[in-house]
Amino acid sequence: MSNTDNSLYPGLNLTGVQSEANEKAETNVFGFWVFLMSDLIIFGILFATYAAYLNPVGLAGGPGPQELFDIKSVAIQTGLLLLGGVAYGGVSLGVKYDSAAKKVMLWLAISAILGAGFVFFEVSDFIDQAHKGGIPQASGWLSSYWTLVGLHGLHVSVGILWIIAMITQIKTRGLDDTVKIRLSMLGVFWHFLDLIWVGIFSLVFLVPLS
Amino acid sequence: MTKPNTGEVNPKDTAAHEIRSYATGFVISLILTIAAFAAVLSDLSPTLKILIICIAALLQVTTHLRNFLHLSFSGNQSREDLLLVLFSASLLSIMAGGTIWILSDLHGRMHGDQAAHAEPAEHSHNRAPED
Amino acid sequence: MIQQTNPIFGRLDWSVTPYTDLLNKVTSSTIVGAGAATVLVVGAIGAVALLTWMRWWKPLFRDWLTSADAKKIGIMYIVLALVMMARGIIEGFVMRAHQATALGTLAAPESGLVAPDHFAQLFSTHGTIMIFFVAMPLLIGLINFVLPQQLGARDMAFPVLNQVSLGMTAAGAGLIMISLLVGQFGTGGWTMYPPYTGIEYSPGEGVDYWLWAIMISGIGSTLTGMNFAVTIFKKRAPGMHFMRMPLFCWTSLCVAIMLIYAMPALTVSSTMLLLDRYAGFHFFTNAAGGNMMNYANIFWMFGHPEVYILVLPAFGVFSEISSTFSGKKLYGYTSLVIASMSISVISFTVWLHHFFTMGSSVPVNIAFGIATMVIGIPTGVKIYDWMATMWRGRIRVTTPIVYLVGFFMLFVIGGLSGIILANPSIDYQVHNSTFLVAHFHNVIIPGVLFGMLAGIHYWFPKAFGFRLSETWGRLTAYLFIGGFLCTFMPLYVLGLMGMPRRSPTFQNPDFMPWMYIAAFGGVLMLAALTSLTWTFWTSWRNRERLAVPGGDPWNGATLEWSSPAPVPEWNFPHIPVVTARDDWGATKRGGDPWRGPDEYVDIEMPANTYFGVTLAGAAFLLGFAMTWHIWWLSIVSLFTIVAALFWRGLQVVEPVIVPAEEVERADKQYRDRIASLTPVRRVEEETEHNRGVPDITEFAG
Repeated sequence: MSNTDNSLYPGLNLTGVQSEANEKAETNVFGFWVFLMSDLIIFGILFATYAAYLNPVGLAGGPGPQELFDIKSVAIQTGLLLLGGVAYGGVSLGVKYDSAAKKVMLWLAISAILGAGFVFFEVSDFIDQAHKGGIPQASGWLSSYWTLVGLHGLHVSVGILWIIAMITQIKTRGLDDTVKIRLSMLGVFWHFLDLIWVGIFSLVFLVPLS
Repeated sequence: MTKPNTGEVNPKDTAAHEIRSYATGFVISLILTIAAFAAVLSDLSPTLKILIICIAALLQVTTHLRNFLHLSFSGNQSREDLLLVLFSASLLSIMAGGTIWILSDLHGRMHGDQAAHAEPAEHSHNRAPED
Repeated sequence: MIQQTNPIFGRLDWSVTPYTDLLNKVTSSTIVGAGAATVLVVGAIGAVALLTWMRWWKPLFRDWLTSADAKKIGIMYIVLALVMMARGIIEGFVMRAHQATALGTLAAPESGLVAPDHFAQLFSTHGTIMIFFVAMPLLIGLINFVLPQQLGARDMAFPVLNQVSLGMTAAGAGLIMISLLVGQFGTGGWTMYPPYTGIEYSPGEGVDYWLWAIMISGIGSTLTGMNFAVTIFKKRAPGMHFMRMPLFCWTSLCVAIMLIYAMPALTVSSTMLLLDRYAGFHFFTNAAGGNMMNYANIFWMFGHPEVYILVLPAFGVFSEISSTFSGKKLYGYTSLVIASMSISVISFTVWLHHFFTMGSSVPVNIAFGIATMVIGIPTGVKIYDWMATMWRGRIRVTTPIVYLVGFFMLFVIGGLSGIILANPSIDYQVHNSTFLVAHFHNVIIPGVLFGMLAGIHYWFPKAFGFRLSETWGRLTAYLFIGGFLCTFMPLYVLGLMGMPRRSPTFQNPDFMPWMYIAAFGGVLMLAALTSLTWTFWTSWRNRERLAVPGGDPWNGATLEWSSPAPVPEWNFPHIPVVTARDDWGATKRGGDPWRGPDEYVDIEMPANTYFGVTLAGAAFLLGFAMTWHIWWLSIVSLFTIVAALFWRGLQVVEPVIVPAEEVERADKQYRDRIASLTPVRRVEEETEHNRGVPDITEFAG
């Protein structure tokens, strides 16, 4: 699959179509990638910790994956986040090909709603699990489960807040170069969260249930 | 190491090309996700299930990077970003892998492991052999 | 401290100050505690009074605190570091004085200058301050000042983020300082291992102070790492290929990489401990499935790269000064680059050597032991390269070179003791003894401290327009060398005699002769601190005589020496086009290096902003509020941070345009000045004749 022209750097490229913004974008988007790598390390260590606590000692006699995990809900969350990621593609394309600000805001809103749906199901799961005794204070494994999945959910929530901030910025200052660059960074962030979720649903939920 | 990446590029691509990229990525991700979930719900051996899940995850991550994040091996892109992701992945393997190695090693040397299992062995020593 | 939480004041009550401790019971320990708090209070009041009396508030905010200029930010980092270093050295001295008086007997096991709990706080703050609030700000400040200039850039890639990073570091330092007056600090050392530091065994505010200081400043450092990396990748002058960068830029790149990948580990371990303490989680508890060994594991995944973060900039400085002050080209550039990058990467594979004794099986210990020995190799290569650089050079023994020679002789000993410790079997004998304490001070002081002080001496004229006094600079260096030797060499002996580290008391009288030598070393360190302070003071007083407006006092070879001293805000009237390694040296050899540009252009510089200062204040309040369980203040502070972010996003921020006429005026003034100054040969470098214009017939570099 050749991505020759739309991939001068990863994430949204403003090449040719928006060349002036492109130079600044390169620095900013690269910087954001670097920052995300540090975030990746945080998640990676939490994943390793989760694996280390996934044993009888870590479970400390409390409820475990079999008792607590709702595979249907996880599947729904996965679907919502994946759709949310694709929806952001609408934002990216809108920004790059000079669509109306309204269209960009619409796609932003759709992404945010899908993300919010994800958070809704995740929080309900947490509440259910708490009712079954699966509170983080019950065991080391539960602490690491809540922290890892919770941190991802927190990131998604921050992403939604960021989307709201961007919609506000488009409304007040218009779709100027700085706003477009920020939308690029938000896009990288948004897709990155979907990526982490792939790791989560696979390693946190599915593997222990196998 | 890399050429500075500030040139203008005549956009030969169209929106359609990018839309196709997203669409393909979506379909592949969907398939891989379904595969992973299906594996768990199936009757395969646990080892095989885990293998399928992990491979599907790895492939899906790659798909996301290529189709959604436009990271590519092609020479037209600034190599710095690819280098960044690969380097990060390497360090992450060392840190996560090292953690798992160290902690499972320690775990194997702790008595807590045995306490969590049932203790039929100790009881059987004390029982007289049945006639 | 009290158990119930007041809704307005949280856990605060009148018993939190050391003055109430003093009123309760007058001992040498409570006097020291109250004394330290008094120094803080008097210092703060004094600073406010001075600023008010001299009417410096407005310039302080206008020219410094709201500036996004990396050079200013760098200087502020270094000032912060030096102030914190004063506290760190004094604490070190108090510990030495205590241990010289702490020989216990069976009848009176606990004796000495300070109470055991107080001693525990001392070694905890000493380590925390020295690593996070002295060494880190020193190197980050130095890189901030030097890196853009050496790269031929105008500023960092993200100037305002740079300001925010400084603010976060300052907020963390503020939390450590306020703990002198309000409450107590944690007693778990600078590493704060649980379960001792968990809520069960350390229910008070002490560990929380540490956690919030570390978390907040850690965010700043992570952002700094990102900023440095992007600057080096994207803001190099045209023609500045990677293999044409000065070595200091290479080591800065390595530092950036290590910051990006190591700081997150600290964030994770601290967050987990915070969750354990505040929310009853079980990451590191004794019961319910906690795994305390995971803390050591994660912490040291940060901790080991951290020490290479500390020392690599010093290595960068040594590369620069060994070349400049020998008048010779740096030997083995490529090998130095490869060695620096190797150190960065390998530093992520050795962290278990900090807990060889935690119970891992032999294959694990051996693997990390081998990796630890391997990392000594690139360091050795670097030392040979610097020695080869100086070989057959015409060496001027300036203050930086005194530090360099001290480094050569002393750091190698420390490195060798590290190789000894890399062997797990040997480490089992001396782990957590003062042998270890001697080792790490032996690499940090001759390594990091000497390197940073050498760097300050080297680049000070560029920042302020005058040199530092050579006499006092050299005296300071000798005092630090002597102070280090007397304080820490005895600790090797004591460690081998079996003395554990972090010991408020001990019963073996054979320790005493060594204790006295070490205490004397502490006195020398205080003398060195005084001499350093005096160096700055007397240099400032003699600044006319020491002035070097020509901008190139050492006949250097890198780009930063091609500008006036003090360097203007925009660094260069035009971004230079680089054609060689050591480009300025090559330019001088080409003849007529100070010929000005034909025309001048407007220059865009980042505008001043209150953003960093606002976030710093809010972060400090957040940390303080969380430590003391003042929940309403936590919410307000957090909200302020989010609101500031949101608000700034809505602002259309324009850069400041420096008009071409202003640039031209300043630049022409500089070039006219150069024409009127007499060039000096290196032999006259330390005299009044040195006005910053070198004789270009001498080789530059």
